[in-house]
Amino acid sequence: MLRYFLKRLMFLIPVLLGVSVVIFSIVHLAPGDPAEVMLGPSATQEEITNLREQLGLTKPLYVQYGIFLTNALKGDLGRSIKSNAPVVDEIMERFPATLTLAVLGMIFAIAIGLPLGILAALKQNTWVDALCSFFALVGFSIPNFWVGLMLMLLLSIYIPILPSSGFDSWKNFIMPTIVLGIQTMAVIARMTRSSMLEVIRQDYVRTARAKGISDRLVLTRHILGNVLIPVVTIAGIYFGHQLGGVVITETIFSIPGLGRLIVDAIRAQDYPVVQGGVLFFALCVGIVNLLVDLLYAVLDPRIKAQYRAAK
Amino acid sequence: MNKFRTAAVALVLVMAFCLPAMAAELRLAQVADVSSLDPHKVSDIYSANVIRQIYSNLVQVNENMEIVPDLAEKWENPDDLTWIFHLRKGVKFHNGEPFTAAAVKYSIERIKDPKTASPGATHLKEVASVEAVDDYTVKIVTKRPFAPMLMSLTRYETSILNEKAVTAAGADYGSKAAVGTGPFMFESWSRGDKVVLVKNPDYFRGPAAIDTVVYRGIPEDATRLVELESGGIDLIPGNFPYQEFANIEKNDKYLTYKVPAMSTLYMGLNTEVKPLGDKLVRQAMNYAVDKQAIVDAVYFGFAAPSKGPLSPVIWGFDPARKAAYPYNPDKARELLKQAGYADGFDMTIFSDNRTERRSAAELIQAYLAEVGIRAQIELMEWSALLSTSAKGIGGAFMLGWTGTGDADGGLTPVYHSANIGSSNRFRRKNEALDALLEKGTATLDQEARKKVYAEAQELIVEDCPLVFMISQELLGASTSKVKGFKLYPNMISPLYSVTLAE
Repeated sequence: MLRYFLKRLMFLIPVLLGVSVVIFSIVHLAPGDPAEVMLGPSATQEEITNLREQLGLTKPLYVQYGIFLTNALKGDLGRSIKSNAPVVDEIMERFPATLTLAVLGMIFAIAIGLPLGILAALKQNTWVDALCSFFALVGFSIPNFWVGLMLMLLLSIYIPILPSSGFDSWKNFIMPTIVLGIQTMAVIARMTRSSMLEVIRQDYVRTARAKGISDRLVLTRHILGNVLIPVVTIAGIYFGHQLGGVVITETIFSIPGLGRLIVDAIRAQDYPVVQGGVLFFALCVGIVNLLVDLLYAVLDPRIKAQYRAAK
Repeated sequence: MNKFRTAAVALVLVMAFCLPAMAAELRLAQVADVSSLDPHKVSDIYSANVIRQIYSNLVQVNENMEIVPDLAEKWENPDDLTWIFHLRKGVKFHNGEPFTAAAVKYSIERIKDPKTASPGATHLKEVASVEAVDDYTVKIVTKRPFAPMLMSLTRYETSILNEKAVTAAGADYGSKAAVGTGPFMFESWSRGDKVVLVKNPDYFRGPAAIDTVVYRGIPEDATRLVELESGGIDLIPGNFPYQEFANIEKNDKYLTYKVPAMSTLYMGLNTEVKPLGDKLVRQAMNYAVDKQAIVDAVYFGFAAPSKGPLSPVIWGFDPARKAAYPYNPDKARELLKQAGYADGFDMTIFSDNRTERRSAAELIQAYLAEVGIRAQIELMEWSALLSTSAKGIGGAFMLGWTGTGDADGGLTPVYHSANIGSSNRFRRKNEALDALLEKGTATLDQEARKKVYAEAQELIVEDCPLVFMISQELLGASTSKVKGFKLYPNMISPLYSVTLAE
């Protein structure tokens, strides 16, 4: 198991290298450069050249990439062009907000989506099923920025109980969590329902029932564990999704997270922050995927056995 | 249990004592968080606003954009190249260091040092030397007679810094430390979220009425409005959405602020592209576009058709000017015919993706079609638009110009032929205009200078290397408890005289 984990961890290295090459190229080959954005429309050629030199942008691209990579390996992602602060500091200052939001969103999605899916499957083809499915469909279809604005109108203005933006107390997280989690919630509900319907019809469930085991025990002992595997897969993929989608939520509710940092940096062509931020995101998604794979082993003894065999 | 009870009682007592002494806190929301609080390293308006509260300059502008004393009490020109500033005595930096002429010398030299790569260096490029004559006298010598000197010294980019504070903070200056002589002191900055400033009790004009200022960056228009309505913020100092302003003006729970902005929006024409080199064609295009329609449709009425190349709040704007090229499609067709383009021609308008500029470009496209000019719109990334248009873009381009607040900053970079290849994006050389602009820069007598610029404005309107469009208005709003706030045309509004009603 540990060896498998380490092996998977090693796989992250080529992935991150690839990401670094791609993001470095995109950022540097896109038209325009930070010196021009910073100096604005009145800049003279001389001023632009001077600033470019100070920023190290006049060196050949492969040299710049080499410098970026060697420093990155030492844990130094350079300094932001806009604020002159170390990129690592900027990321670490912003990451807690994003992570909290993504985790809360996922908890919300699972806490609502899973029961909803189970309920729909148990009451298949009744009005309960229809209602759950409708709820999931709506959750998936409405754009989350709209949900955000509507929640804000309702809970900040008409019934003023929640703050509409900022990052000061737990209250600030309620609306963003819902906005971020609602689509994942819908997907998890649908996934759980179909997975449940499949498992319910399996022979071992029928056998368990035939043995006279109570419905509740059949559900918790025999069904749920098997239902969870596809749900965990989806949750893992959507966690990565949420890290990316967090930018809209962060913008609407003015939460100083990583998504906003990167989007602002793209606007300002702040190369080091874009590179560092995207690389960090890639690392996070990689780690989450790894964790999901490990979670399979916990849930499914067959997969665990495969790891043993691979040894 | 007892411990808990004691703690609870203590907490209640502390709260009871705190409540009546609640500090006066003013919370503002801008579109973005600051990027740095080192005035010599930034070029964005949101940082500028916070910098304005922390630092002082030698001279400042008031709400009418007139020059007033700040750290310098008086100044004089013994000759056309020399500026002597007599400094205020007894001023202290926030770190306790006394303010002297050495700080002025240090700041100006830091801005000019290529290693600083200061975006503000351009404002001081005519400065040849700066000298501390004694502790309270500074002598600045320029390379040539440079009349816009004072306006350059009012810029936030030329704020006066304390050398010890800068050296002590090193690379962290501007993010973890910011030391000035202004009415508010830097307290903290949580990146991406907010900057907190506290009152400077030793401010040289006396302490401000507000104890704490919180500047937040809220990018979403809707969220900013919700925050204002729900009481999360007190003041939106500019960038109020045009389409919402009429509503809030009617609501007496709020105070609104409206001033003409320093900037103008226009459609520039690369005069090297055929047939835009033909003056008749350019004039025809100017007559073809109904600017009032842009004002109404894009700016919801909160703008005015341009009266020339300068906004009315720029120093040197000629008040006798009328709207440039009133809408007259018949005249446009006639001029096109004269120029030999009775059937019109094809052209491209380049714009970045900002809503207002894109919408204005679409309206222009429709108006040009009315007189037979077939325009295509091409959208570009902002920085790409800047660099491509500097090198010569293949047609017309949507651009705004803010300048420095002085006619020189509003005209010379854009229209002088020495700047072809950078900020003269029309790529048009007009010798008569070049001569006027040079004369304007060199004439220290401000009244005589105004006459020179009046002539230059007339010449530019007649030659029109651009399609004149509009000058927008700056809009802001606050709750009614905010008193004494003035929105400045440069969108950098000081908070020193603001008070909060209970």
